Amino acid sequence: MKAFVLFQWSENRTPTRWLTAGLLALLPITAYADNPRDTLQVHGFLSQALVITDHNNFFGTSSENAGSLEYTELGLNASFRPHRKVLVAAQVLSRRAGGETSDAEPTLDYGVIDYQMTSNPSRTLGVQVGRFKNPFGLYNQTRDVAFTRPSILLPQSIYFDRTRALGLAADGVNVYWEEHTSAGTLRFRSGLGQPQTGAELTRQLFNGRSSDVTTSEPSAIAQLLFEDSTGQWVAALSTATVNLETSLGGNDADFEFQPWIASLQYNAEHWNLTAEYALRQQALNGDNLPRTFDITGESWYVQYQRRFTPSWSGMVRFDRLINDTDDRTGQRYEQSGLGPAYSQFADDLTLGVQWMPTSRLMLAGEYHIVDGTGWLPTQDNPDARETRQHWNMLLFQLSLRF
Amino acid sequence: MALKWPYRTLVSAVTTALTMLALLSNTAVAQTAVSANTIVLVAHPSVGAQAINRDTTRAMFAMRQRTWPNGQAAQIFVLPNRDPVHTRFAKEQLGVYPHQLQLAWDRMVFSGMGQAPNRVRNQEEMREQVAGTPGALGYLEREYLDESVRVISME
Repeated sequence: MKAFVLFQWSENRTPTRWLTAGLLALLPITAYADNPRDTLQVHGFLSQALVITDHNNFFGTSSENAGSLEYTELGLNASFRPHRKVLVAAQVLSRRAGGETSDAEPTLDYGVIDYQMTSNPSRTLGVQVGRFKNPFGLYNQTRDVAFTRPSILLPQSIYFDRTRALGLAADGVNVYWEEHTSAGTLRFRSGLGQPQTGAELTRQLFNGRSSDVTTSEPSAIAQLLFEDSTGQWVAALSTATVNLETSLGGNDADFEFQPWIASLQYNAEHWNLTAEYALRQQALNGDNLPRTFDITGESWYVQYQRRFTPSWSGMVRFDRLINDTDDRTGQRYEQSGLGPAYSQFADDLTLGVQWMPTSRLMLAGEYHIVDGTGWLPTQDNPDARETRQHWNMLLFQLSLRF
Repeated sequence: MALKWPYRTLVSAVTTALTMLALLSNTAVAQTAVSANTIVLVAHPSVGAQAINRDTTRAMFAMRQRTWPNGQAAQIFVLPNRDPVHTRFAKEQLGVYPHQLQLAWDRMVFSGMGQAPNRVRNQEEMREQVAGTPGALGYLEREYLDESVRVISME
């Protein structure tokens, strides 16, 4: 465990050092920029949740005593514009979602030098170099910031923790291209980079059963998004390709992951309606492996959010995950002796409320009625036979930002 | 039927007159409102632009566009989210809701894609900051205008 932590830490150190060097190299330019004064910004956020479940554990031992306080998010970022075409930005994130206290070790969430070569009323064209956040679905880029989420937990069928490390950010190059027309903005973003592998991914993806995960080829991500001129309609299509190499029981294994997400949102003054649909292709191949698979998972949700007053809002959402579209009820999975059928799907009906007494403070509460354990974190429930198919979850969260 | 004909004409004439009266009085009310608290775009005097269109204004206030159309770096100033002037500016001039703007800024700031606008507490501070920051863009009610800032018209 210790070795993994060290490994993860050094993994994250390299880009930090590189970024610091980049920042220092750029500093002298500030004196000649148009108006460098006031371009330095520092922002942060903090969230603490209480998770209570009747059965099964989510982010800590939530089914025991008074629940779990092991869901904490803390972020701090800084940005400045040394030149009118350049933005330098970095964020450090400390996050714990069950697991070990050491998981809260601060990591570099993103660190980019953003060069915007074109920015005019009809077109924006830019490139980010460094660790960039993956544009994936409507919420991925800021998934750890409570103020940008409609609920305490994002719809787990798409934004579940198991592939979090893979989807979160990558080290490489990200280009963005926006066309502004009278109808709205068409935005294309595409990134090529090394996903964040290491201990967190190994644990999330293979429940720690594999040895280290590596990548031989970079992962690619792309998103095409349309937003009409007033932001009433937002439609997006996102996709990614990830190839990983690992070893299971001493045998080499290849893991391929290719998700597609279609997103649609309608924003009115007092309410919005959001829906996302995802298809996730996952394949594990290799000789002499205990298990190989090539499956397509399906996820979707429909969410209605209503603003009662400027400070109060409520939301209701139905969210469904199917792990393998060829085995929707999980019967074949169970017959193969791999685990309970209900671990292959999850239906989640969520009711939530948010109260923002000031723009810096938010209190939220929500209730989940869940059928299935498809996205239940394995690290919180090591023995699948001890889980229950029908379970309920109550969450409270306090969030601050500046 | 024939008897009703002149009667109907009379009714429609009266209705038309009333409608016109209502319209006139509405215009009168609207015009008094224009002079006092109409919100206008203001910029630092060094800014070259005389006018910018609505889409550009929206992109600049949403922090998606970091520069003026001529390439000069832009510095955006806004009043607090729940300030009635900010709400009116967002809804009437930009055609977006204040909470949409806030969400757009949060998504920029916390993803490394951009920065947040500069926040001012009231219109006096808005005028002071816009007047003192090269490349600044903000908004003011007409009664707060003076020669320290440049009025930019929105096309």
